[in-house]
Amino acid sequence: MLAVLVRQVFVRALIAIPMIFALSVVVFVVLRMLPADPLAMMLPPTATPTEVESLRAALGLDRSLPVQYGIWLSHALHGDLGRSITSGETVTHLIATTLPATVELSVVALAFSLVISIPGGLLLYALNKRRGELLADSFVVLLISVPSFLWGIFLMLVLGVMWPILPFSDRFGADIAPPKTTGFALIDFLLRGDFQAWGNAFSHLMLPALALALGFAPLIIRVLRASLLEAAGEQYAMVARLRGQSDARIVLRHMFKNAVLPTLTLIGVQFGFLFGGTLLIEMIFSFPGLGNLMVQAVRNHDLPLIQGIALVFCVIILVINTCVDCLYAVVNPRLRDA
Amino acid sequence: MSTRSLSALARRALASCVMALGCAAIAPAAHAAGNELTIAYPVDVPSWDPTAGTWPAAQSLYKAVFDSPLLINDKLEITPRLIESWKWLDDKNTRLDIVLRSGVTFQDGSKLTTEDFKYTFFDRPQTDKKLVINSTFTNKLSNIEIKSPTEAVMDFKNPTPTAPDWLAFMTAYILPKAYIEKVGTDQFLAHPIGAGPYKLVSYERGSRAVLEAYDGYWGPKPAIKRVVFNFTPDPSARVAMLESGRADVAVQIPVRDSERLKSNSKLVSKVYPYTQIFIVQLPSYVTALQNVHVRRAMQMAINKQALSRAFFANTAKPISVLALPGTPAYVDDVDVKYDPKAAEAELAKAGFSPSKPLEIPFMSANGSTPGDYDMARALVQMWSKIGIKADLQEVTLAKYMELSHSSKLSGPMLYSWDNATADPEIFAGYILNPNLPFSAWKQPELADTFKQLSALPQAQRIAGYQAIEKKATEDAWCIPLIQSVTTIAYKKTLNLNTYQTGYIMPQEYSWKQ
Repeated sequence: MLAVLVRQVFVRALIAIPMIFALSVVVFVVLRMLPADPLAMMLPPTATPTEVESLRAALGLDRSLPVQYGIWLSHALHGDLGRSITSGETVTHLIATTLPATVELSVVALAFSLVISIPGGLLLYALNKRRGELLADSFVVLLISVPSFLWGIFLMLVLGVMWPILPFSDRFGADIAPPKTTGFALIDFLLRGDFQAWGNAFSHLMLPALALALGFAPLIIRVLRASLLEAAGEQYAMVARLRGQSDARIVLRHMFKNAVLPTLTLIGVQFGFLFGGTLLIEMIFSFPGLGNLMVQAVRNHDLPLIQGIALVFCVIILVINTCVDCLYAVVNPRLRDA
Repeated sequence: MSTRSLSALARRALASCVMALGCAAIAPAAHAAGNELTIAYPVDVPSWDPTAGTWPAAQSLYKAVFDSPLLINDKLEITPRLIESWKWLDDKNTRLDIVLRSGVTFQDGSKLTTEDFKYTFFDRPQTDKKLVINSTFTNKLSNIEIKSPTEAVMDFKNPTPTAPDWLAFMTAYILPKAYIEKVGTDQFLAHPIGAGPYKLVSYERGSRAVLEAYDGYWGPKPAIKRVVFNFTPDPSARVAMLESGRADVAVQIPVRDSERLKSNSKLVSKVYPYTQIFIVQLPSYVTALQNVHVRRAMQMAINKQALSRAFFANTAKPISVLALPGTPAYVDDVDVKYDPKAAEAELAKAGFSPSKPLEIPFMSANGSTPGDYDMARALVQMWSKIGIKADLQEVTLAKYMELSHSSKLSGPMLYSWDNATADPEIFAGYILNPNLPFSAWKQPELADTFKQLSALPQAQRIAGYQAIEKKATEDAWCIPLIQSVTTIAYKKTLNLNTYQTGYIMPQEYSWKQ
């Protein structure tokens, strides 16, 4: 199976190269075609037209589009995505310091949504054609209807203000030294054996992750329920029933494995959206991740930074898709030879 | 499936759901108080190089870490800070002598001298053209002559009467030459040091800056030793932080929340005017706006008091000239009254009426300043009553800047102008100077007028600006609306002074005993 996984990753990586290249062209051209001048937000009203042009030249924005792209690409191939126009720091540094926060938030949100949705899907399946089905179904519809950012505001007001039991801004308390080894707070605090800091960081993650999870989980619940209903009609389920196995055992031991495939597909597709959804949630919870950085970059028309972040988002989506493909191969042996 | 088995499965699933949600309700975080202060602040510092850009909201943090050569106090007077004294050596405002305070040290213990001063304002901008300080006032310098470690003379190419104002304003912060040359710009940006009352001990982009009092600070030692600026862009989240006790101060909260918090016995909530004015810029290159009757009609149709009442709890002061009330160049006797009938009559002179309205685009940002877009909508309503059909278009600030810089605004634009100095050059002198890209009113002869004003003694210079302000209002080159307000709410146990400049100065705050 390992060979199959390696081949999957290799093929995906090969496909990813032209995709990333094409995307970099699209992002670069689209950003340059936007009717907004990146210098506009930088210069004070005292700037004369000569100074405007001088700054434009200093930033290389006076050159032709292909030349600008060529320079950017040659630097990017060496891992240099340029410097932020606003802060003057390297784009790679800015992304490297904020990406772990967003990945951590997304992964914890995914974990929360799985913890909610798997039992939720099983519950909904169990209530099929029973009293309480309508109520449970309506509840799931309600969950789907409320966007994550509203959950964010609601959770903040209830668990942050009304009953202030959870923090709702930042990644961890101000008295905790930031994570330096991997950048992931939950990993670094464990590595340095600081369990108090770990608890603090986890408590900071709860509300934003829960807000994201509450937007994500209902979709999984519904797909899992539908898959279980479909699996219930399969022959192997009937055979298991004829063997006298309990319904709970049939569901958990046999049907669940098969029903999880479409769910996995959904998770793979939706995880990209969940990752993108961190943008608003990070704003609401003042969470210092990539989404917050992106908002600042867009506000300031910071082209190198927007480009860098867009590219990283693209790479992450490709990585997620590759991971999902590999998981398929692990879960479903029939796909290993495909 | 048997009912019993299903019930067991349902119970198990339900229990898991409850457990999952239950997990989310543990581990409350405590908020430290005492010798610490947490400020819910709306924006992060775009860069830790304070000379790199003109970001009004970042100035409070820069002042805490770097201090400033001079400071504009709450009465909008220039007061000594790192510069102890200053005087013009000539009548034309081209040679400014400055004396630095002795014994000032940077946070690495090194002495702050005129070498650092020259490096910051002359040498470094010369070599790095990307620094925005080049476009504020250092581009007017021909040299900085060092006379001693604490005395220097700034030589300007042209009369620059606003130089002391700029030394108290944006981008004017003295940087440590030796430290930057030793560690390089990247390291300086990652670990900035200054000569301010607080040193930066921890910084997480987009999250927070933790400051600790610097023991070697030249001035009064801050009473609060540790200050946390929590960057919280969402205004509701800032209010929530204060109400939940996770912040001690919340800055720039919505006016309606500010009014609501006044009933909270544990908090103090203030709405106060600051050095920002709302204006409607009228581009002279838009044909319809070349007609003085149209411009005057637009001006008279605006009920400024109603705007203040509707959006700023009646605390924003209506203004009729391009200056702040109480500043030297403010003209008291100019008052454009709200008069819709007169406005309609004025518009009729230009051939427009409610039955034959003037159609014109009108631009405003949405949310760049609290209440901007709502105010723009109110203006559209006011103008519609006299026969001006304004098509309100939302533009980003960046887009607006670009349109303005390239003289491509298609109609009036609502804008807020921030000037923490009281000097009229930085109000009317910039808003109306046709040579500056920001100006929408391009009247060529004004350029010479402003140039001449720069070389005049202070009293005549102020009188000259007052005359221009009067003329600008009379002919409606630009419509001043109101002096803006800002908001702050904080715990009652905190002693806190507000500044008309809007600066947040935790170095002056203290907890009540």
